Amino acid sequence: MNYLASWIHSSLAQALGWTLAHFVWEGAALALMLAAGLRLFRYAPARWRYAMAGAILGAMPVAFAVTLAVMRAQQPAATPWHWTPGLAIPVADAGIGPAPRFTVQGILDRLAWLAPFWMLGVVFFYVRGMAGWAAVNRLRRRGVCSLPSEWQARLDELAARLRIARPVVLLESCFTDTPVLIGYLRPVILLPLGCLTGLSAGQVECILLHELAHVRRHDYVLNLMQGLVEGLLFYHPAVWWVSRVVRAERENCCDDAVVELVGDARSYAATLARLEQRRALSPQAALAATGGNLMKRIRRLTLEPRRTQSSAAPAVTAGLLLVLFAACLAALPAKLPIPKRTRSPKSVLMAVPPQPAQKSQARAADLATPYRKWLDEDVAYIIEDGERTAYLKLVTDDERENFIEQFWKRRDPTPDTVQNEFKEEHYRRIAFANEHFASAVAGWKTDRGRIYITYGPPDAIASPDARTIHWTYRFIDGIGNHVVIDLVDSQGNGEFHMTKDPHFAQAAAPQAKLGVSVTVAAATPGVIGVGDVLRVGMLTAQITPPPDSSLVQVDAVILKQKAFIEGLLRRYQPSFPEVLKAQDELRAFEQHRDELEKAQNSGLTYQIQDSQATVLPDGKISVAGAGEIVAAGLTPYQLEAALDSQLGRRPSCRVSIEQSASHTRMVTVNVALEPSGEHFHVFGEVTTLAHRVVQSFDADVNGQATVFAKTVPLRVGIYRLVVVVKNPATGVVQNSESEITVD
Amino acid sequence: MPAKPNQLPRPTDAELEILTVLWSLGPSTVRDVHETITRRKPMQYTTVLKMLQIMAEKGLVERNEEQRAHIYSASRPREWTQQQLAGDLLQRAFGGSAKSLMLGALSAQPASRQELAELRQFLEQYEKGTL
Repeated sequence: MNYLASWIHSSLAQALGWTLAHFVWEGAALALMLAAGLRLFRYAPARWRYAMAGAILGAMPVAFAVTLAVMRAQQPAATPWHWTPGLAIPVADAGIGPAPRFTVQGILDRLAWLAPFWMLGVVFFYVRGMAGWAAVNRLRRRGVCSLPSEWQARLDELAARLRIARPVVLLESCFTDTPVLIGYLRPVILLPLGCLTGLSAGQVECILLHELAHVRRHDYVLNLMQGLVEGLLFYHPAVWWVSRVVRAERENCCDDAVVELVGDARSYAATLARLEQRRALSPQAALAATGGNLMKRIRRLTLEPRRTQSSAAPAVTAGLLLVLFAACLAALPAKLPIPKRTRSPKSVLMAVPPQPAQKSQARAADLATPYRKWLDEDVAYIIEDGERTAYLKLVTDDERENFIEQFWKRRDPTPDTVQNEFKEEHYRRIAFANEHFASAVAGWKTDRGRIYITYGPPDAIASPDARTIHWTYRFIDGIGNHVVIDLVDSQGNGEFHMTKDPHFAQAAAPQAKLGVSVTVAAATPGVIGVGDVLRVGMLTAQITPPPDSSLVQVDAVILKQKAFIEGLLRRYQPSFPEVLKAQDELRAFEQHRDELEKAQNSGLTYQIQDSQATVLPDGKISVAGAGEIVAAGLTPYQLEAALDSQLGRRPSCRVSIEQSASHTRMVTVNVALEPSGEHFHVFGEVTTLAHRVVQSFDADVNGQATVFAKTVPLRVGIYRLVVVVKNPATGVVQNSESEITVD
Repeated sequence: MPAKPNQLPRPTDAELEILTVLWSLGPSTVRDVHETITRRKPMQYTTVLKMLQIMAEKGLVERNEEQRAHIYSASRPREWTQQQLAGDLLQRAFGGSAKSLMLGALSAQPASRQELAELRQFLEQYEKGTL
């Protein structure tokens, strides 16, 4: 007590007391400036507002320190307390002193008593902060689980795109309920368990980009420093308010960074909204009493483009801030020398950007011609999907140049030499195709050109007549041995189409690729008889007809999920033209994806005109458009069901899903098979919406069985189930695709 | 032997890691668990096996012996353990301060009922494409 009492009367305590008191108005003035600035720059980009708020927050401790220095300098003179040891002890013991003086002077004299309480507060906040920091660091080791390496690889790719040199680690944690970033030198992104289920790959990428933006902007360290300021000046509400503004604007900055990279503010906003909903769904989620700030962020994101500011505004703001500042100076007590606090408003002014906002919205899908041509012509057949998407997301021409160089380098069979044999051979093939296969269409675009460019010169060429060519490859990687491709010039104009049947290729009208649903019109009722088996979609057509009827080919092109097609190709290796056709579909799907999405969302319907069915001399019937092909937003599964009902036949494979109510969620997949006395091979795959395989099964079912059941454990979430039933004898494949919701 | 649910012991840090893997992957074999853990840090296969056996005895995990490779699953959902661990003093006392040190895509403060309703409305509009 004695020590405290004597310390209270030291000049440091006196100075501190005065400083604490002065900072009350200083902090308020700084916060007012920020409020005025924010009001004027309502529509400015987040990074300017962030800079402004950050500068004000930084100015606060500076103001505090400057005031303290000034007070110390003048303290001996300013101290009205004349302390004598004899008086001190009774004063301290009595608490307030024998004769409390409630005059202004009396209170001012006792300001020094603020100092110890303030110090206690600072110690409390700093200790609490350190304990919190320790708790956070424990999160990187406790209750974490690594994710499949694909995700880590994806994250590294994104980090490279943001030019982040430090390695960022991606983990799942059972302690957080929202994705978070921790650590500065070795940053870790923690995703809540099960976060990846139920979000699409694109959505997860958005979230990762947001966290990476934090890494890149050094936000973790800045946030720590912010915590130090908060702890130091904890007693002033204005400090907490400014700090909150800084936090909010920091998130806005990262949001902007993500939108700039992804390009679609709405889908990003939807991702955030969905994430928040998922958090609220978890059993122990506590709802906040007052509204959070997410809706504000979403509004901000979706109300783009924002109103731009008149160019006079910055000048007006600067003027206003100056006036405000002058007013503050005028309000200074006369005896206080003007501290060097000018620094703080100045930094505010410097943070005020010289001209109004203009969003760099310019970058869109407008690739400059040579780069577009490179993608669509030069490497159209050999670029992989991942590469294509990566390329389309590049922003500057330098990046594209770099990408193209890397693209060839990756394929160079002899990376040590200057020559890139792969690239040379590729361009030679294109030149060859253009020279030899050109007709009305450029050589590289023809079927022959495409095959030649993709697979090289055939090992043997046979031409039984002027309109038919057979190309034979001894081996094609991923397809098989002794591949024969039939090319037919059906129109006599020099353009050869790859086909098994002369009319097959014609039937596949390119527009039809948009089709999703097929209705077989009543115009040709006799052609498709009950009992015919129709294979729909990519693996389409051509089944055994009744003996007296003729072979029917229905070319119904349906929208297939990309992963689904790929999975099918991988497992069932259909014949060569089917592979190429599937690849075409994929490509068309990619190109029309946006259009399709729009159409599906707004419920538009595409209609494609049909053509007449023709009876060929050999008794076969080719139906180029046996009916209308109508795209109406159906899934392939629904489409097949529609076709089945149209033709009055039962599907040979029907999938139903049962969910057990017990604790571990078990889902039973029932596959009803048409009894045929034949063997079936059943393959099923449960994937998350992000295409991560969760469960798969595989079984041979003998002909007597009519039901095949498989029970798989699944965690809460939304999954996609694909079941493929194949009859190995006939090669007929039936597939179904459905969604499972486990809750 | 299976302990009553509310009497399950609190998992140690190492056990918690295995539980986390099980929650993340769903029911898995020892090999799956081992593979996932070694992606992050080296650990012997037999260590994982031994720990799973101990945890099965404690009742923290359940073992399905129908197939040749035994399949382990967490006996409680993730939320239960989180509540148990909320007893952890550090986490409880300083959770609030810890939250302000982490940077998340969502704010540390969850949404209110009213905001959730707004969010739902926004999502509906977004999905319909009328936004």
